[in-house]
Amino acid sequence: MFRALGVLRLVVLLNALGIYLWRFHGYAHSAVGWLVMAALVGWTVFVVWAYAAPHHRRPWLLVADLLVALAAIGVSPYVKGEGLNATLPGFWVMGVVLAWAILWRWVGGLSAAVLVSAADLAVREDFTQRAYGNIFLLVLGGTVVGFLSGLLQQTAAQRDRAERAAAAAEERQRLARVVHDGVLQALALVQRRAPELGPEGVELGRLAGEQEVRLRGLVQQDSRELLAPLGTLDLVQLLAALQTAQVHVAFPGTPATMPAETASEVLSAVESCLSNVRHHVGREAEAWVLLEELGDRWVVSVRDDGPGIPEGRLAASAAEGRLGVQQSIVGRMRDLGGTATVHSSPGQGTEWELEVPRHPERPLVGS
Amino acid sequence: MVVDDHPMWREGVARDLTEAGLEVVATAGNGTDAITRFPAARPDVLVLDLQIPAPNGVAVTAEVVRQDPSVRVLILSASGEQQDVLEAVKAGATGYLVKSASRAELVAAVRRVALGDTVFTPGLAGLVLGEYRRLSDTRGAAATGRDETPRLTERETEVLRLVAMGMSYKQIAERLFLSHRTVQNHVQNTLRKLQLHNRVQLVRYAIEQGLDELDEGPSDRS
Repeated sequence: MFRALGVLRLVVLLNALGIYLWRFHGYAHSAVGWLVMAALVGWTVFVVWAYAAPHHRRPWLLVADLLVALAAIGVSPYVKGEGLNATLPGFWVMGVVLAWAILWRWVGGLSAAVLVSAADLAVREDFTQRAYGNIFLLVLGGTVVGFLSGLLQQTAAQRDRAERAAAAAEERQRLARVVHDGVLQALALVQRRAPELGPEGVELGRLAGEQEVRLRGLVQQDSRELLAPLGTLDLVQLLAALQTAQVHVAFPGTPATMPAETASEVLSAVESCLSNVRHHVGREAEAWVLLEELGDRWVVSVRDDGPGIPEGRLAASAAEGRLGVQQSIVGRMRDLGGTATVHSSPGQGTEWELEVPRHPERPLVGS
Repeated sequence: MVVDDHPMWREGVARDLTEAGLEVVATAGNGTDAITRFPAARPDVLVLDLQIPAPNGVAVTAEVVRQDPSVRVLILSASGEQQDVLEAVKAGATGYLVKSASRAELVAAVRRVALGDTVFTPGLAGLVLGEYRRLSDTRGAAATGRDETPRLTERETEVLRLVAMGMSYKQIAERLFLSHRTVQNHVQNTLRKLQLHNRVQLVRYAIEQGLDELDEGPSDRS
């Protein structure tokens, strides 16, 4: 940004010099004017060099820059004599205002523009419409450039963050490959071989199996994370994390992206179903979770092979004021504009079917 | 034939199969070896890990099925990299087992695959279901063209759903009042249609590529 400003400063310097060479014959003290122009040339070359290095962009440099501009404006009436209609530096002052704007955002741009304008007005004998136009543009320009500069820096910072995130994701994927090739294979092997060692081996194998599933879940989760846009979650990823040695999760190969709140409500409902399984069927009971994506809805089914819920039991417990299952599963789904149905008969296991509309403005009618 | 890049695994699996009375005709540690040894070994079943040094399991599956359409490929994968499994299935694999499965499950799976059965996990069934829905999706249909997108019959969808929900073929047969064999046929059909569709797509792609070359390159036929 400062390189562009450097070019601009040279252009406005040449402009100021040109005007001076064209008009200096009529000036009252042209010798002092030459000194002022020489000083402007020297200062411009110095600041273009100084601003090029970020560690030079300190407050003292900006203040000095502004003071030079103010001084050049201040000596203008003495050099030019009566009837001043333009200051010696002229448009050159915009370089200072823009430097303030770039470093100190819109506040800096506005302050520098106001100070320069005030100095400009102070040395004039009369206030013309042209002078007002220049001041107006300067104040407006300083502020707008300051604002844009802030915006640009924010964007650059965001881009840097995104690049860092991408680099981190890449590293995670590399780690995932390493973990996959080594640790997961070893855990799977332990799980398979350990039961042959006897009763203790069975326990060992079970532990290895659980850890393998968890680790695999973690490793895969990260690669999916980046796919979901802001404010949304991929239900596939959330459900996949539920996978354990007892809980089997099946899902389509495409992400099921939905508003984050919807996704976590569905997840809570599924967790309630699973905790019911553990509670009513047994801690080691197996359960299956299936996510399907239909045209207008997502369907999550949770099944177990347990004894089933006797008919009327849910309605009865709701009537008794125990709202556990009703509230946590049916209520949640209803709030999302969806439905929850349960199929169960003694000896046939229990099946929950949770449906969520993909377009909540059109709630599902029945199922 | 057993293909896996981990010597421990490869030997373990081979030993389990031998102990169960099956004959291991060859082993390989990477895709190149697998493809080179395949024609001489002529196995009935290929037990294949997907994550092997190039060419990977999907490519190996496609190549061996091309050479010998009667070979059965059982994917044995620790990764749970489900998308790869789906690709391998589309390329012609008819079975999928996670590596954490027990020896008994492995031996049973190899025997079933050898008989022409399909071996499904609930996870794979869920993926296949999702793949059909993706293909029949309006966008998918528009991209792949007219009416050739494979579709499942209602019954096939029902069976596949129940497989995805972890029910055994026996349980499904009882629930839907079907014979065990009918359930198996339905499951096999779901895979067959997908594999057929995949082959049609590949052939079309090859033709398009070939025609493009003729159009662009200096032609000696004209």
